[in-house]
Amino acid sequence: MSDDEDLPAWSEPFTSDRRTGLQRLPPLRRIDRDWAWGGSDGTGVTVAIVDSGIEPGHPAIEGKVRQSVVVALDDEGEPRVRDDPDGLDVVGHGTACAAIIHSLAPGAEFLSVRVLGPDNRGKGVVFAEGLDWAIEHGASVVNLSLSSKSEALYGTFHELADAAYFANVLLVSAANNVPGPSYPSLFSSVVSVASHDVADPWTLYYNPSPPVEFGAYGLDVDVAWKDGERIVATGNSFAAPHVAGLAALIRSKHPGATPFEVKTILAAIADNPRPRGRRPPRPS
Amino acid sequence: MTDRLSSEALELLRAIGLRAEAARRLRIGSAEAVLRSIVEATVALFRAEAASIALYDPATDKLVFRVAAGAQGQGVVGLSVPTSQGLVGYVYTTGQALALADVLKDKRFGRQFAEKTQYVPRSIVAVPLTDDHGTMGVLEVLDKRDEASFSLRDIELASVFARQAAVAIGASRVERDLSELLRSAVASLVGDEAADAPLDELVTAATSGLARDDESQLWVLVDRIARIGRADPSQLALVADLLGVAAEHAERAARPRRSSRIRAR
Repeated sequence: MSDDEDLPAWSEPFTSDRRTGLQRLPPLRRIDRDWAWGGSDGTGVTVAIVDSGIEPGHPAIEGKVRQSVVVALDDEGEPRVRDDPDGLDVVGHGTACAAIIHSLAPGAEFLSVRVLGPDNRGKGVVFAEGLDWAIEHGASVVNLSLSSKSEALYGTFHELADAAYFANVLLVSAANNVPGPSYPSLFSSVVSVASHDVADPWTLYYNPSPPVEFGAYGLDVDVAWKDGERIVATGNSFAAPHVAGLAALIRSKHPGATPFEVKTILAAIADNPRPRGRRPPRPS
Repeated sequence: MTDRLSSEALELLRAIGLRAEAARRLRIGSAEAVLRSIVEATVALFRAEAASIALYDPATDKLVFRVAAGAQGQGVVGLSVPTSQGLVGYVYTTGQALALADVLKDKRFGRQFAEKTQYVPRSIVAVPLTDDHGTMGVLEVLDKRDEASFSLRDIELASVFARQAAVAIGASRVERDLSELLRSAVASLVGDEAADAPLDELVTAATSGLARDDESQLWVLVDRIARIGRADPSQLALVADLLGVAAEHAERAARPRRSSRIRAR
């Protein structure tokens, strides 16, 4: 195995002449918020909102919707994606998520992928198709404040979570309050978020016990809503976009950061209490 | 195959469907009793003005409010909302628990529907009723008397109650999916070729009207028996005797009149 040609292709990046290209993050303790996103406003990052749509004219969005599509079943029962040039939010929820992200990362642009509508048939496959579209259409971060409970779609969503990871797309998903199947929020490459009650959009906690790894502001959040309105809302689906917003800032400043690196940066800058005066034990 | 099935099986399927629907209605009392106790406990625990449970009805693609509790709760029972509308529809479709304060600000979520129920809330929490197969409905709690809005812990507590409700409903799921039950039963008898449109039509014909034919005297009878079933056991003997007399009378009336003429001679 001395000859490089004998190595399987997977080992290629680790050969001696190429290892210099592997330089990544500074040691975790040197990562702070200034390093993570100082000077960044999310410019150059595209965030997809897979939800009830985004109201493009809402004052809290400031015209940042680049494209709106809607997913629905066709006559044969197949999910189809079509343009929704005027944009529409059937509930207000997608607009709320986008506006939270915009308040943190005002430079980021949105893809609105509407997967909720009057027809409730096949909602799981419609959601999967919408996520697939977002991954393939240039989203860098995808906010998923919804999930599928269908065991039958476990494989589909697992494939999509992997496809996103390999395409360097970060999926940020709201966690569920009850145990049981919830896809893709339970997959390891997905950033799964629940709520904390500190009334500050920048406060973030890291939970070292997955599947729910991050806690963000989700209690009594003043959010944008349908018809240009605002409303006070509570739920993990408002916590997730806070993390998506921070991820957009990080990816704007560090475009090469992979999904797991973004997770690591988020964990490094989290507001978890730190043991005072204690140094990590050194290996003997 | 289809012709033979059409003539012979239609009657059979209809008879099975009739019995299954009657059984479902007779048993629904127990499922509803559990749901009712869940919303009553929810109201007490949260010190809320109202709590209610809406279940998904696949026939109409709507969420129907089945039980409610609390001083302001009763107006909602029997009302239905499309799954594409309102807080309840959103929570059902996305499976995400949600709480809103100042509901009145949102015209679609709050006002229009709330006015139909005679009670317009300030704050709402809605959580999905979920089991391992998916979401089947929504538990909704309106207005805590002591606080202006719902906390994160409230959402988690409501989710625990919703889980209980989902388990209770899951137990009676088989009867609810009557068409699917009949279809799979026939398919297992006649093999894969049964998976064609005529079979669907057959099952539809056999079961159509069963679920929603509420005007029929038979369903009035079944529903009354279901209600009696929840009564004091000491009353049941009397009811059984009365029904026995009525059944005998009905059978006598159904006999050909010829026999009475013979007797008259």
